[in-house]
Amino acid sequence: MDATTAMYVGQIMHGLAYGMLLFLVASGLTLIFGMMGILNLAHASFFMLSAYFCVSVIHMGGNFWLALLAAPIITAVIGVMVERFLLRGIHASGHIGELILTVGVMMVIMEAVQVFWGTDSHMISVPSALAGMVNIFGLQYPLYRLFVIFLALAILGLLVLFLFKTKMGMIIRAGVSDAEMVEALGINMPLVFMMVFAAGTWLAGVAGVAISPLLSVFPGMADQMGMDAFVVVVVGGFGSLLGAFVSALFFGLLNSFGIQFLPRIAPVLMFVFMVLVLSFKPKGLFGERE
Amino acid sequence: MKRCFFLLRGVLTLLVLGMLVTSAWASDALMDRMADFDPSNPVVPKGDTIKIGHLNPFSGPAAMNGELYHIALHWVAHDLNKQGGVMVDGKLKKIEIIKGDTMSKPINAKKAAERLILGDKVDLLWGSTGSHISLVCQQTAAKYKKIYVSALSISDSLMDAENFNRYTFHTPWTTSQAAKSLAYFYAKRPEKKFYILCQDYSFGHALAEKFKGYLKEFRPDAEIVGEDYHPLFTKDFAPYLEKIKASGAEVIFSGDWMPDSVNLLKQSRDSGLNLPFANMYMDDPITLGVVGVEGSAGLVNANQYMINDMDPRTRELNKVWNHLHDSKWEEPYNSSLYVWPLGVVASAINTTYWMMDVVERAGSTDPEKIIATWEGDKYNSFAGVLEMRACDHVTVRDTYVSEFSHPAKWFDNFSYIDKIVTVPSYVVEPPLPEGLDRCKK
Amino acid sequence: MTKIWIKTLAAIILIGLLIAFPKVMGVLNTNIFIGFAIMALFAVSLNLMLGYTGLLSFGHAMFFGLGAYTTALSLKHIDNLPISMALLLGVLGAVVCAVIVSPLLVRLSGTAFSMLTLAFGQLMYIVCLKFREVTGGADGLGGFPVPDLKIPFTGGIDMTDPVNFYYFAITVLGGCILLIWRFTKTPIGSVMISIRDNDNRVDYLGFHVPSVKSLVFIVSGGFAGAAGAIYALFQNMVSTDGVLGLFTSFNPIIMTIIGGVSSFTGPIIGAGLLTILEEFLLRYTDRIALFNGLVLILMIKFAPGGIMGIWDGVYRKWFKRRTLS
Repeated sequence: MDATTAMYVGQIMHGLAYGMLLFLVASGLTLIFGMMGILNLAHASFFMLSAYFCVSVIHMGGNFWLALLAAPIITAVIGVMVERFLLRGIHASGHIGELILTVGVMMVIMEAVQVFWGTDSHMISVPSALAGMVNIFGLQYPLYRLFVIFLALAILGLLVLFLFKTKMGMIIRAGVSDAEMVEALGINMPLVFMMVFAAGTWLAGVAGVAISPLLSVFPGMADQMGMDAFVVVVVGGFGSLLGAFVSALFFGLLNSFGIQFLPRIAPVLMFVFMVLVLSFKPKGLFGERE
Repeated sequence: MKRCFFLLRGVLTLLVLGMLVTSAWASDALMDRMADFDPSNPVVPKGDTIKIGHLNPFSGPAAMNGELYHIALHWVAHDLNKQGGVMVDGKLKKIEIIKGDTMSKPINAKKAAERLILGDKVDLLWGSTGSHISLVCQQTAAKYKKIYVSALSISDSLMDAENFNRYTFHTPWTTSQAAKSLAYFYAKRPEKKFYILCQDYSFGHALAEKFKGYLKEFRPDAEIVGEDYHPLFTKDFAPYLEKIKASGAEVIFSGDWMPDSVNLLKQSRDSGLNLPFANMYMDDPITLGVVGVEGSAGLVNANQYMINDMDPRTRELNKVWNHLHDSKWEEPYNSSLYVWPLGVVASAINTTYWMMDVVERAGSTDPEKIIATWEGDKYNSFAGVLEMRACDHVTVRDTYVSEFSHPAKWFDNFSYIDKIVTVPSYVVEPPLPEGLDRCKK
Repeated sequence: MTKIWIKTLAAIILIGLLIAFPKVMGVLNTNIFIGFAIMALFAVSLNLMLGYTGLLSFGHAMFFGLGAYTTALSLKHIDNLPISMALLLGVLGAVVCAVIVSPLLVRLSGTAFSMLTLAFGQLMYIVCLKFREVTGGADGLGGFPVPDLKIPFTGGIDMTDPVNFYYFAITVLGGCILLIWRFTKTPIGSVMISIRDNDNRVDYLGFHVPSVKSLVFIVSGGFAGAAGAIYALFQNMVSTDGVLGLFTSFNPIIMTIIGGVSSFTGPIIGAGLLTILEEFLLRYTDRIALFNGLVLILMIKFAPGGIMGIWDGVYRKWFKRRTLS
């Protein structure tokens, strides 16, 4: 493979890897919104929180795999607590209160990580089994990034199975289109909400652990991720898993090819794109619910 | 004659013995003075003290900076306080450090500076990271006619014709000095294809522009094969690295600081890109530890301070610091980030000793007296001779560049400083600011 | 009759206190007060949408920032620009922006409205960050001249003097808050409240809901721009994170929620309370945002009406009278 082709293939792979990470974060955000009508502004904070839990698990002698298992679950438990004790009580009084409450949760998490883990950066190395490079048709590509792509695909598969093959999934899909009707059928909606919130924060948590070996874990790591995930969800359509997937990949590729060709305006393009979609197709490209 | 010789020998022996004893005593003295220094809970004297306001972010995403320089200021204060304090206005006074949280925002920086000046009535202000924040601090200090020691931000524009004020003293090196040091280093090196990857804000752009200019001067045949500016706190550097791979670059020039510096270096090594980085901030144990011996070999670091064990003061500081770090200090100061010889903290300690020396020689904390003493002052610091240029209050100094290699003297788990190339001060002297009347001859 | 007397007396005392403030409290507190007054106007302008019209904007910093940048840029590039013109240009900048984006926004309500404002706010932020040649990027614009205030038949008044600037800023900010209060008392004000409560009914009554919404949006944006313009003059420094960042949008929301959305004075009380809380906490901790977040959560959870809501409840309970909401 000559250098130019290698560069293009490389950029596609990087776009896929970043897009997959975005998808993991965005899928949780879109599920929660679709089901509960809550735009969870604290979503990226859960992503960061999980990365910090991952740091702790490894510092306490655990390895990366244990962290990948445990950290997202701890994060989900905290997510459930936020839903149960904070959001549930005010669900009835409208979305504005919920929106602002998630801002409060975001602020608290952002500060709490500094109280518990300090203000400096924490580093985690790539697990030894996934270190090094692999050869894909002549292209040298980091094995860990390939793992991230497959991890996200596996989780997408699980999610699809869960949503389309289980009873719970059916209820959730029905709830996304019309929560009141589902409730009228005698389903315990608060329980479903809690499950969805747990699943959403768990997904963000998986992304948080998956990104830790690539990136230093520090108190500002949620800022940009939150906005990026928000853009993905808006463009893909709120509540649409397929939309989140397609638009996460699109923005992942836009990121790498934007840096390749239009480094100056690529980040602006992303927001222009979002504003255009929101202005002219407020439901998003794949959205069913406004 | 013989007797005379005998006497001379006796005197010499005594002298050598005396020196040995004094040096041993001096070294023990620093250990004694600092033995009870606890950076997590520093002793803060009260009452009739010399008050120094420490402006830095202590909250928000950049809170690490406050913590980092907190130890530097308290180290100097503790040391001098143990010696009785500093003589001002005919009295020995202890040094009291009071912090002001800039929260990395201009409005909070101004508030914090005013709170320190008007509320706590500090004698001197000291800070701050982030050039736009530091600018607010220096303007606020000047408004109330207080000395501001601009000890951390290195932007040239802080002391240009537009922003210069008499009350601000710039003690670190400057962006142009950093760029020139690296360009000077590459004048005698085989590499000539450079890729510039800097952070997308004024500092990154200014540094890159200066580097390009100086490179043309020192190395006319060098080639810039690519140039990119990434946003602050970038998550994924892979697309930039892919571009660099395809560009045929031999050296990546980057002025990134934490956490961008460590993420860039780590992701580049993880993706098999082993080019050297010409850098200024890839010199701390966390960053280097992550990429290990091989990943850190060949990095070219330019700095205003580089550990040099030829200097007895450095040896002593190093010994005392590491002893305390390993045995006494608590969170967060027991982490590997705080292992001496950490460049930025050492520079801050160094110039803080200078600042206090100036105060002592001025015999007062009166701004006018400090200005009169500091302008044109030369100080023999443990990082070389520092000279405060009288007309624009910018420090003239030697700078240092080193290519990291292994085995290194100071660390086992990564490559570090080996041979130091000293860039003499007359080569890297910062250009005089255009249009500043004080500097016109 | 007595009621008017009490009101007049209260107003005179308030004005007297405001005039005496710098002399009694010193420069430091005077500057803190200016910061509070800027946030108070910003929050009151936001509450015109949030409390009165029921629209939550996550992008209100867009107007604040535009006001600040327009003022800063015009002072930087136009020689001998009077300070009042710089201020007006700032307001104009924000109004023009509001006029441009309002057609896209007024069709929406609820979460969709919040999201689109968030999107516009972030777009503005990233544009200002990227076009460094004009805006100075993350470092911002600083050191632009702050001209003297020229009043006919007197010499100029030095605006870099903190006390002079205080009187100027308080006059402008207080005047703006009074104007907003008058605005809520016009018929449009009542229509706004009806839109919040039931926009269909307003439609049936023959009002064109989007037109009313865009009017509110523009007025609200203009006053936020005024707050931003005063901020620029006060700080003599405008940076993207300082005036356009996400938390610049969040702060007035937090203040409004804490003070109380359903009253005109709520945002002012919220701004004051947060300022005092910050000054108090600063002595003990660096984690001020943690406390702000906790207070916000507790308020939403247990006192959604904010301080004014609590006061209202107490008032009703003890004085057994119905108050205006």
